[in-house]
Amino acid sequence: MASEDELMMQDATDDGESFDDDFYSGGDVHDDSDDDDVMDYDFIDNDSDDSDTVIAHHRSQSNYSILNEADIHKCQEESITKISTVLSIPRVAAGILLRHYNWSVSKVNDEWFADEGKVRRIVGLLENHVPVPDGEELTCGICFDVFPRKEISGAACGHPFCFTCWQGYISTAITDGPGCLMLRCPDPSCSAAIGLDMIKKLANDDDKKKYDRYFIRSFVEDNRKTKWCPAPGCDYAVDYIVGSGSYDVTCGCSYSFCWNCTEETHRPVDCGTVSKWILKNSAESENMNWILANSKPCPKCKRPIEKNQGCMHITCTPPCKFEFCWLCLGPWTDHGERTGGFYACNRYESAKQDGVFDESEKRREMAKNSLERYTHYYERWATNQSSRQKALSDLQQMQTVHLEKLSDKQCQPESQLKFIIEAWLQIVECRRVLKWTYAYGYYLPEHEHAKRQFFEYLQGEAESGLERLHQCAEKELQGYLDAEGPSKEFNEFRTKLAGLTSVTRNYFENLVRALENGLSDVDGHGAYSRAASSKSLGGGSIKGKGGRGKGTTSRSSSSRNIDDSGHWSCEYCTYANVRSATACQMCQQRR
Amino acid sequence: MQASRARLFKEYKEVQREKTADPDIQLVCDDSNIFKWTALVKGPSETPYDGGVFQLAFSVPEQYPLQPPQVRFLTKIFHPNVHFKTGEICLDILKNAWSPAWTLQSVCRAIIALMAHPEADSPLNCDSGNLLRSGDIRGYQSMARMYTRLAAMPKKG
Repeated sequence: MASEDELMMQDATDDGESFDDDFYSGGDVHDDSDDDDVMDYDFIDNDSDDSDTVIAHHRSQSNYSILNEADIHKCQEESITKISTVLSIPRVAAGILLRHYNWSVSKVNDEWFADEGKVRRIVGLLENHVPVPDGEELTCGICFDVFPRKEISGAACGHPFCFTCWQGYISTAITDGPGCLMLRCPDPSCSAAIGLDMIKKLANDDDKKKYDRYFIRSFVEDNRKTKWCPAPGCDYAVDYIVGSGSYDVTCGCSYSFCWNCTEETHRPVDCGTVSKWILKNSAESENMNWILANSKPCPKCKRPIEKNQGCMHITCTPPCKFEFCWLCLGPWTDHGERTGGFYACNRYESAKQDGVFDESEKRREMAKNSLERYTHYYERWATNQSSRQKALSDLQQMQTVHLEKLSDKQCQPESQLKFIIEAWLQIVECRRVLKWTYAYGYYLPEHEHAKRQFFEYLQGEAESGLERLHQCAEKELQGYLDAEGPSKEFNEFRTKLAGLTSVTRNYFENLVRALENGLSDVDGHGAYSRAASSKSLGGGSIKGKGGRGKGTTSRSSSSRNIDDSGHWSCEYCTYANVRSATACQMCQQRR
Repeated sequence: MQASRARLFKEYKEVQREKTADPDIQLVCDDSNIFKWTALVKGPSETPYDGGVFQLAFSVPEQYPLQPPQVRFLTKIFHPNVHFKTGEICLDILKNAWSPAWTLQSVCRAIIALMAHPEADSPLNCDSGNLLRSGDIRGYQSMARMYTRLAAMPKKG
């Protein structure tokens, strides 16, 4: 079976059709006439054999793994094999069961062994296969035409329909979306599930491909522990061990995102703030205004729903199918006699009084009133965003072109120029953090003055540090790139850039730590609050949140310390000087 | 288009043949357009609609029977699942629970069943729904009966 599996897997990845042909009949191994394919997938197979090492190079931590389409398919097939073996049911049935229970093998096992009959009823798996009725000619239940028996087909329930009607029925369902994975017999009184075997037999090729796509997608999207990488054009999925700490994951395509909310990584800011911020940003656009005014997100799956007719009892489209009340967005099961029954939806009234309900209304109100405040934060957020993009491409350029050139010009081995790459990596990371701190700042309550000041102080420090680093890596480096020959100051430049990198890293670590603690240090540590207040006294401090506070930074008590590499940080500008220097190379202040 | 026309024609012949099979339902195809139908259904007995005759308008899409027909009441009716002004009907089989094995005839039967068993939990007519949900069965029945008399019964004299 193992070898069969592998062959099937090879096929599955590039040729959905032949995969299900073989897969679900579980039998005949087809010939792999396409040698290239075999080559390709041999490679993947080697990988998957010791799958822990394979993908390991993608992962820095082991709390998640990256799955390509072949991996996804393999996982899916493994689940189906498990269920099919344990429950002694056909693979098609196992697939239907798993789909119904969101691909959770343990859930299927639990439910099945608790009450097999009930599970069969819910999912639509008949205990006994009913053959299509006897007789030379049969009437199709959809077009009501009479057909010879061999042109009629039925699911496990035996209800007879002609091939054309089956094809139309299946095609309509597939066009309607992923709900087609839960297709039932067209007979209204019958709930027999239509599985992959029927699709394979009756659908046209295009529909089969779409169905396979939905089938694979279902495994990733309905599963609680896998998600697609949100990067455009990326086909990898990330399998995450829920409850294992940091949500930050880096996909095989090198895109980093937060597994929880699938936005780009936004440490130290939490997912809630990020989603509010992103919604707010797009709320300014026409589109989002329309969506806000005319739709509500499904309370469960968050897809926007436009209500264009009918009653307040909304059922989200499959696979979500969440039933809720349009007015209060509460589950529909909470409505009815138990809640006092009136259609006016008392939950809505009370929620509105509490001011909980109309979030979108409030959001728009806020946007009007504080547009200026918002613009302030948005501009800085967006600038850091574009600055990060630029830094990313600069880093790319550095790695591919400039490093070699610089190595030649300055007669330095490339291995000794790592500090430049490190500086750029630091810049990229800092821009990302800094960007999100503006979203954080926007939502930091105005009345929490101490926290605000402390936050703005840390942000200002970090930002000014970053500006110096960025300037140095961008402008000063250019000088050495353009130089005719080796410059004797290059070693000093190295020290300076490395120092700035490390100082900036420290600043950002402080910032991240403080934000992740919810700025709780603001009352606890005397040093911090003193620093914060000295900052605010230090003149023009509030503009510090704009962060161009060069030279206005206050002195940190730790600045006298000499760090591991033997550098000392200047008390005034925090520049990391070499041990031998008696005055700061940046600001000429004496040590 | 051809498939839907063929299927509707079959239903038409069936209706002609079985004219007396279901005395409560009288399905008529538009003279010039097989995609437009009207039906007269009798209000079920032991309901406030008893004695009334209600007119339904069917608009059949080209994808029929893969897509459901659009049906609405032309006769005013006081019922929790029927919009009081437009006659729009909130019935699952006309929306997401549609199956191509349903026919116009069986849709009529389902609508009669809906008249007998109003679903107050997902109302299109909130007043009617609230009466039922608050347990004021008499109030609901007398309102429904009044509108049946006003709109669905032939004028006497």
